[in-house]
Amino acid sequence: MSDEMMTGSVMSDATQVGGDGEVMIEVSAMDKFFGDFQALKNIDVKVGRREVVVVIGPSGSGKSTLIRCINRLEEHDAGRIIVDGTELSDDVRNIQEIRRETGMVFQQFNLFPHLTVMENITLAPRLVRKLPAAEAEAKAMQLLERVRIPEQADKYPGQLSGGQQQRVAIARSLAMQPKVMLFDEPTSALDPEMINEVLEVMMDLAREGMTMIVVTHEMGFAREVADRVVFMADGQIVEVGTPEHFFTNPQEPRTREFLSQIL
Amino acid sequence: MSRSERVTDWLKANLFRSTADSIVSVVVGAIALFVLFRIVRFVFVTGRWEIVETNLSLYVTGAWPDAEMWRLVATVLLAAFVSGLIAGFIARSREIEAGVEAVSLSPRARIIELVVRLWPLLLGLALVLALTRTVMPVLLVVSAAVAVVLGRMLGRLLPRRSPPWLAALAVVTLLGVVWLMANGVGLESWGGMLLNIFLAAFSITLCFPLGVMLALGRRSKYPVVRLLSVGYIELFRGAPLIALLLMVDVAIGFFLPQSIVPSSPVRAIIVFILFTAAYMAEVVRGGLQSVPGGQVEAAKALGLSPISTTFRIVLPQALRNVIPAIVGQSISLFKDTTLAGAAMGLADLLNSAQASTAQEQFRGQGLIVESLVFVLFLFWVGAYTMSRESQRLERRLGVGNR
Repeated sequence: MSDEMMTGSVMSDATQVGGDGEVMIEVSAMDKFFGDFQALKNIDVKVGRREVVVVIGPSGSGKSTLIRCINRLEEHDAGRIIVDGTELSDDVRNIQEIRRETGMVFQQFNLFPHLTVMENITLAPRLVRKLPAAEAEAKAMQLLERVRIPEQADKYPGQLSGGQQQRVAIARSLAMQPKVMLFDEPTSALDPEMINEVLEVMMDLAREGMTMIVVTHEMGFAREVADRVVFMADGQIVEVGTPEHFFTNPQEPRTREFLSQIL
Repeated sequence: MSRSERVTDWLKANLFRSTADSIVSVVVGAIALFVLFRIVRFVFVTGRWEIVETNLSLYVTGAWPDAEMWRLVATVLLAAFVSGLIAGFIARSREIEAGVEAVSLSPRARIIELVVRLWPLLLGLALVLALTRTVMPVLLVVSAAVAVVLGRMLGRLLPRRSPPWLAALAVVTLLGVVWLMANGVGLESWGGMLLNIFLAAFSITLCFPLGVMLALGRRSKYPVVRLLSVGYIELFRGAPLIALLLMVDVAIGFFLPQSIVPSSPVRAIIVFILFTAAYMAEVVRGGLQSVPGGQVEAAKALGLSPISTTFRIVLPQALRNVIPAIVGQSISLFKDTTLAGAAMGLADLLNSAQASTAQEQFRGQGLIVESLVFVLFLFWVGAYTMSRESQRLERRLGVGNR
C-alpha cells in the first residue's frame, strides 16, 4: 500500500479490483511448479465483476499458466483460487462448477474438427446445461450473428479461415453463458489481416460488461479496452496499473525494458 | 503425335531408359510372362475344376441341410434390405448436408460406378454362380440385389432424426439373423465359407468394444485399471493364436464340466475376441494418441464430463484416424478363422476343401491345388472387398486432409 502512495498510481496493487467493485476472481499466494521449475511465484491478483484485465509479459513469464490455473487446466500447488465464491479445490464438483462459469479461448482455437460449427457450439449447452436441441440451436444462431458469421453454421472448422475459427471458438464459449472469459493469446496464431476481426468481437464483449482476463501481445487492445494491465516476468507479477499509467509512466525497470522492446 | 509414337515414347521413358533398365525390364518381363502363362494355362486348360463344381455347396454353406435353406435365404435378404436402408439414409443425409438436390445418375452410370467399386465382389459372385448347377443361387443373388435397391430407396425417405432407430434396427437385425440361423441348425453343424464369415463377423463386432475399453484402460488415471489393461494386452499379444485355440479345444474340458462347455464355434469366437481385442486396443491407443491435447482441454474448459469428452470428442477423432489399421485387423481376423478350423477340426472352408479331395471320385488325383486355389480366391474376394470399402470410407471421412 505504501508503494502505491509513493508512486501515486491508480490501482497499482493487483489485489485491488476494478469493474463494479465486486470481486469475481481472487487468486492469493498461488504457486505453480512444473517438476522442479517454479512457473508461478506467490501470485496475488483480484479481478472485479465486469472488469477487463490484460496480462502481458515476455514468453515464459507464466501468463498462460496463470489463466490455465483459474479453470484447472493446470493444478496450482499452493495458495488459493476463488471464482465467483467457489474455491478451486480437488473437489470435482467445484472444478465442474467453475468450468461451467468460465469460458476459455485458446491460441490454437481447438475447435472440434469432426463437428460442424453449429454442433461445436451446441454440444456443451446440450450435454452440460441439458438445453433442448432446438433452444440450443436458436441460441447458437444468435451467437454466430454476434460474432458476425451466421452463414457458416453448417460448415466444418477445417473449411473456415483462422479468424472465423477463432470467432466460432468465442461463440462456443459464450454458449455456456459464462460469467468470466479467459483468453489465452487469442490472436497469436492468426494471419495479420484476421487479427482485427477477432479483436473487434472481444471489444464488443468487453463493452457488454463481460468479466475478462486476456493474455495477449496486442498492445493496442490493452490500451483501448483494459481496465487494468498486469505485467508478468519470470513467474511473478511485476507491475499492475491502468493502461494510461502503464504505457506512459511505468515504474519498474523490468516493465520499461519490456515496453521498449515491443513498442 | 501418332499412337505408335506415343507407345514408343512411353516404352523408352518407363522400361528402356538405360542399359540397366532394359536388362531389368527384359528379365522381369520374361519371368512375369512365364508365370502369367502358367496361371492362365492352369485356370483355363489343365485345371480340373469339377472338384469345385461338385463340392460348391460344401465349400460355401457346409453341410447346411436343404430343408433349412430358407433360413439362409431369409438372412441374406434381410441383411441386404437393412444395409440398403442404412445406405440410402446416409446417402440422403450427405446430400442434405452438402446442400445439393438428389444426385440423379443415369441407371447406366450408376451401374458402372457400382461395378468399378465392387468389382472383386462381383467377380467372386459371378464365378460362384457360373459354377452352380441349380437356378436357386442365381435367384437369391438377384433378389438380394433387389432388396438392397428397395431398401436404399426407402432409406432416402426416412425422417432425418432416425440414426438411433437405425442403429437399433441394425443390432436387432444382427441378433435376429443369428437367432434365425442358429435356431434351425446347431452351430456344430455349420461349415464352409459361411462358418468363416460367421466367426469373423461375430468376433470383429465383439472384439471392437473390448479393444476400445482396453485402450482407454491403458490410459486410465487409476493405476489398477492401467495395470490390468497392460497385463491383458501383453499377455494375449504374447500368445500364438493357434496355441490358444488348441487350448480351449482340449484344455477347457479339464477346467469346466462338460455340461457348460460351449460348442466349438462359440469357443473359437471367444478366443478370437480375447485375442484380437488386445491388438485392437493397441491400434485404438495409437488413434487416441493422435488426437491433440488441445481437444481435451477445450472440452474440459467447456465443462464436459470426462465421459462426454471421451465419447463425443476424443474417440470419434481417434477411431477415424485409425480406420485403415482397424480394417487391417479385421481382414487378418477373417483369414485367421481358418486356424480355428485347423486347431479344432471345424468344417470351415479350408477343411472342407481338404476333405473334398478325399472323396471317392477325386481321391488320389492331386486335386488339392484346384480346391486350394478356389479357397484362396474366395478369401481374396472377401479381404480385398473389405480393404477397398475401407479406403472409400477413409476418403469420405476425409482422413488426413483436415
